[in-house]
Amino acid sequence: MRDPAQRITIGQWDRRYKSLKAAGLCESAYGGSLGRHLDQGNRRLAKLHMDNSPAALRLWNFLCSEEDRLHQARAEGKHLIGAMKDLGTIPVMAFSLDDAVAFYADGAWWLPCLMENGTGMLELADRYGIDESFCPVRAMLGAFVAARDMPPGARATHFPLPDLVTCSVGATCDDLSAIAQRLAGLGFDIFWWEMPHRRLPEPDEPAVALPGGFRAPQCQVDFVRGELERVRQAFERLAGQTLDDARLRSGIGRANKVRKVLDELRETCYTAARCPMPALEMLVAEMLAIHFCSDQAEATSVLQGLLDEARARVRSGDGVLDPAAARVFWVNPVADLRVMNLLEDAGGRVCGTEYLFCHALDQIPDDLPPMESLARMALADPMVGSPVDRGTRIAADLRRFGAEAVVISRIPGASHCGWEGRLLKRLLERTCNVPVIEIEVPPITDALEPTLRTRLEALVETVKENRRHLR
Amino acid sequence: MGTIAYCQPLVPPEWIAAHGVRPHWLRLDVPAGGERTGVSRFPTDRGACPAAAAIIDAVERGLSAAAIVLTTTCDQARFAAAALSQRATLPVFLMHVPRTWETEAARSYYRDELRRFGRFLARISHVEPDEESLCRTMLRYDAARQELRCRRGAFSATAFADAVASLRGDCPEAACAAGDASDERDATSQCVNLALLGGPLLFSDRPLLQLIEKAGGRIVLDGSEGGERTLPAAIDAQRLRDDPLGELVRVYFDSIPDIFRRPNDALYEWLRRELPVRKVRGLIVRRHVWCDLWHAELPRLRQETSLPLLHLDMADGDRGLAVAVGRLEAFMEMLR
Repeated sequence: MRDPAQRITIGQWDRRYKSLKAAGLCESAYGGSLGRHLDQGNRRLAKLHMDNSPAALRLWNFLCSEEDRLHQARAEGKHLIGAMKDLGTIPVMAFSLDDAVAFYADGAWWLPCLMENGTGMLELADRYGIDESFCPVRAMLGAFVAARDMPPGARATHFPLPDLVTCSVGATCDDLSAIAQRLAGLGFDIFWWEMPHRRLPEPDEPAVALPGGFRAPQCQVDFVRGELERVRQAFERLAGQTLDDARLRSGIGRANKVRKVLDELRETCYTAARCPMPALEMLVAEMLAIHFCSDQAEATSVLQGLLDEARARVRSGDGVLDPAAARVFWVNPVADLRVMNLLEDAGGRVCGTEYLFCHALDQIPDDLPPMESLARMALADPMVGSPVDRGTRIAADLRRFGAEAVVISRIPGASHCGWEGRLLKRLLERTCNVPVIEIEVPPITDALEPTLRTRLEALVETVKENRRHLR
Repeated sequence: MGTIAYCQPLVPPEWIAAHGVRPHWLRLDVPAGGERTGVSRFPTDRGACPAAAAIIDAVERGLSAAAIVLTTTCDQARFAAAALSQRATLPVFLMHVPRTWETEAARSYYRDELRRFGRFLARISHVEPDEESLCRTMLRYDAARQELRCRRGAFSATAFADAVASLRGDCPEAACAAGDASDERDATSQCVNLALLGGPLLFSDRPLLQLIEKAGGRIVLDGSEGGERTLPAAIDAQRLRDDPLGELVRVYFDSIPDIFRRPNDALYEWLRRELPVRKVRGLIVRRHVWCDLWHAELPRLRQETSLPLLHLDMADGDRGLAVAVGRLEAFMEMLR
């Protein structure tokens, strides 16, 4: 007998955890009650509604224990690689090595949310001149400085200092590029690599299809392959190990396995008649594809658990939301996780997403030389091309998942969001004929919640009104 | 002859001119009354850079040009190119200028982008320059730049900004005749020597420059995006003979110190070299609101130059200037 799917508070989770344990719940080493993460400072968890499945429990525990895993990896003498910006490429290479662990330092952008600004990282960023006019990713600077300034032998507050830091620049957002340069100015050694603006091939210019459907000139792929070759050499020097094509091919295979499970999970959840998995858990699940939350094998298992749960719920007609919920496509990740709850509270459900890293969800070609495959994948990054490309892909996915409206959530201070949101809105309204709204989501939305709720409710009402007209 | 509008310094005007097209350096501005047109009417409180909005506004107002070329040197300009492409008012050429510069691959990429740009220009003009005409054009621009550099001290801030803008147009020889070149300045006067840094100056920044001078300052180093900082290096005759396009790459890509470069150490090397020579006593950073590239560097600028720094972050319109006046006067009083 399965428990009915529902979204519950962390307090309810802790009670449920006890009963699950009593019933013989088996957990991974990082398992435990979710309440302990609250005690460790992740105060935002108290404001969230989470899925009540053991699979979701495992997901949250996996997410919230990442820093422990990184410190453990450091203690075990593994090579720590801190990637920035490319969102999906560097970790595939790093996890192809025997003893390397990669993580995204940019991931610190959720710290202000999770710890409800209680982390001190933003204050540190302020002190170094990176104030609130920057994107919340500025918390990364605080985390780096805090890790550097720890007394010898003490554990860093967040991630340990990586042995190698990579940052892709070029057609990327200025916020991160500027903050990374600030880190370099403070003495952090950064391995820069170039990501050109993806352009359309000229007539008669040799071109290739990229994963996800974009096209690019072969010369751009060649250039990116050359840049990744430099990264490969840096990894080899760090690890004292050859990162040959055979290793990379295996690494790509493992990454594709994660992506395949995630793709099935998205397909299952976003197309189901009744939403089997809440938007919040789906957001976290999608994030796993970028860097596997520092444990590739475990990430695959966690996602498989969610997929099994979602499928079981679909089979039994169970779900977490009203079957009539408005089907919404969500563009850009939210700085405050709570907003994903808010959409559902307003009567919507997420049916399709583009969280700025769709290239990390697509299968990496396995019938090409590995570096060529990785270069094509990196160049398929939605951020490095035209917003028209990105909008076209969003429109295709919107149709695939049958979404009825779009929410474009801006990241406060992000250099790309101002113009891009507007361009995407115009394009999607024209090509998809669905209502599109733009909202801005700061790391803590409590003060804005009534406004955001009203806007989301209005969107849901518009969708339902449109349905009545279509009938 | 067609005209190509541009407003970013990594686009070589001599490359445009050599293709039989007139380079037009677009001097960005805030429209009268601050009212923008069309898509550029996007409020700056939503994260839009006023300079990027000014690019779009210029085109929306019917810029007379065959095309506009923009570069990827800042994110907002990249999205301005996307906005303009979507509007299809004018053909847009977006040139990728690598932010990294330490590898031969990055140099080659810039060179290839110049070639691609050349093909774009040739489609407009039906002119593909031979090496001789390219060399001739490059030398012409180089000579004008050298002349202006020699006469640098004779210009007021606004006149120098006009002159540098003129250097980037289709008649670089006119640069030294621009503005008040006859207004010879007394180098031994009691003025406080200042360096101006930051993003592109808008035409509407002229009152700011005049205010600086009125308050007793003298801009002896224009490190704004369109200023002398981003003028290309002098041409080497032998290298030019050997490989004209390679020399173009060297004087632009290899030589212009800019904030967007990764790493951007060349900017600081340039400052270390130029500030003492010009006896600079204070820095004024004119930054467009939302420009992260300059914003993030302010602490390092202070630290590395050890000079007093006035940071003016301004949105468009006169309000920013009104706020700046008091701060500027206080800054000058402190320096005197």
